Amino acid sequence: MANRIQKAVPLMMILPGLLLAITIIGYPIIDLAWTSMQDVSRFGKLTGFNGGANYAEVFADPLFWGSLWRTGIWTVAVVGGTLVISMPVAMILNDDFYGRGLARVIIMLPWAISLTMTAVVWRWALNGRAGLLNATLMNAGIIDQPIEWLATANTAFVVEILVGILVSIPFTTTILLGGLSSMPQDAYEAAVVDGASGWDQFRHITLPLMKPFINIAIVLNVIYVFNSLPIIWVMTEGGPANGTDILVTYLYKLAFRFGQLGKAAAISLVMFLVLLAFTMLYVALVSRNDRDDAAPEEEVDA
Amino acid sequence: MTSKLTRSLIYWAILSPLVVVILFPFGVMFVTAVRPREELFVYPPTWGFTEFRWENFSEMWVKTNFGGALLNSLYVSIAATAVALLLSIPAAYAMSRYRFAGKGAYRTFLLMTQMMSPIVLVLGLFRLMMALGLVNDLNSLVLTYAAFNMAFTIWMLQSYFNSIPRDLEEAAWMDGASHLTSLVRIFLPLAVPAVVVTAIFTFINSWNEFVLALTMMRSSEDFTLPVQIYAQVAGRYQVEWHHVMAATVLATVPVAIVFSWLQRYLIRGMALGAVK
Repeated sequence: MANRIQKAVPLMMILPGLLLAITIIGYPIIDLAWTSMQDVSRFGKLTGFNGGANYAEVFADPLFWGSLWRTGIWTVAVVGGTLVISMPVAMILNDDFYGRGLARVIIMLPWAISLTMTAVVWRWALNGRAGLLNATLMNAGIIDQPIEWLATANTAFVVEILVGILVSIPFTTTILLGGLSSMPQDAYEAAVVDGASGWDQFRHITLPLMKPFINIAIVLNVIYVFNSLPIIWVMTEGGPANGTDILVTYLYKLAFRFGQLGKAAAISLVMFLVLLAFTMLYVALVSRNDRDDAAPEEEVDA
Repeated sequence: MTSKLTRSLIYWAILSPLVVVILFPFGVMFVTAVRPREELFVYPPTWGFTEFRWENFSEMWVKTNFGGALLNSLYVSIAATAVALLLSIPAAYAMSRYRFAGKGAYRTFLLMTQMMSPIVLVLGLFRLMMALGLVNDLNSLVLTYAAFNMAFTIWMLQSYFNSIPRDLEEAAWMDGASHLTSLVRIFLPLAVPAVVVTAIFTFINSWNEFVLALTMMRSSEDFTLPVQIYAQVAGRYQVEWHHVMAATVLATVPVAIVFSWLQRYLIRGMALGAVK
């Protein structure tokens, strides 16, 4: 009896949180799956099963394919750009130099600010008439006419990708720093004795040992970036003429502007499945790293 | 070996473009927030302005209903943090101190919920809140923020709990204290710093959230700060940019200072926790 109570204690401790998570995160998924197979009125009333009609409508919609294509570009460009910048930044921040504390605080700063506020400030900074980016570039003699950054879809999308990279750097750098700080120093010392150059050390020691951290940084960033609404929503709302729409902005418009709830539910479910695939990849990576941790001595000599 | 000074100069030179780009929006924010309205749209655009117009802040406070949105944000963020912690502390304790059936599955479940983003579920959540009668009710945000933050709070707390030695609790059990007594009297006081740090990060996450607040709050007196500031910009023919920037300064700078002060704890928690 007492034994059984002992066994129930940890379960009682996790149960309340589990119930909240199942209600708030689990139930909507089921509701979306159900809704996506129904005819839905503008006001959210389900008016009958329609099989795959919502999905057929989504897959026949050129705006869906356009948004999907841009989601791919957005994700690859932001995640790739972030990684290329964060790696050297993390290596610098891991080394000892004057002002390192200050440098860390500055690099982490974009993380502290909500994406919405960052996007609002950039929307103003990029203003074609009075924006201070134009002021800066004109003062520096780089341009002589103000540029309407957000008025055409191509420039707007490029600018949004750059802002996306900027706000992703702190998180990525943090993960990479965690990896770098656990690097074995003796491997580098041995390499120096063998006459390896800095680049050789980077390619043959740092990069292979950092691989698990780089993988996790990529997967987590893909998940976050693929889902990120505020930057594009605040700066251009997917416009002009749907030219900067990605799946989340298109989904949001369908659901809350155009009242096409069945179609929006179908897109949500497609996105959920993509997200699920990446999440499972993440879980697999994390548990593999846990196993590697159990035998840490092996890799050092390699 | 290069000297530390040379190395520092090289490093700062490499970092400088990034530092400039990071600080640029802060410069834009301050310079716009304090400049007179009539100097917003001058040609050619310029950083300079003639006087510091501090009244922009008090005007903005009244015109944008900043105070109301601030109270809404405070209520939602504090309540969501409280709910998340209340549910996470026992769960994290269980994860840190007990073996139980289904622990591995629960860990996977946490990782999955951590990755679920509100935007993918937003339509389903809206329908759920409709059914519960919580649309236009700040408590809908309290519940959703608590639920979406819980995975983060549990693994963050767990990674700190693991670093609190078990010996003290075990000694208390030897002395005949019940598990509950040892938890309340011995463990929790030691865990206070971890709980405070986790609470602050949950607060900041809730404070900054946009999509759910935009969706669930339909009338302007219920807006939280990010939505209120967004509403000053979106779909308006004339945007009062000096007010908008004054509002972003007030809404972001206190949070940014606290975050900068505490970021090393976040980094440590992440190094100890699930990301590792």
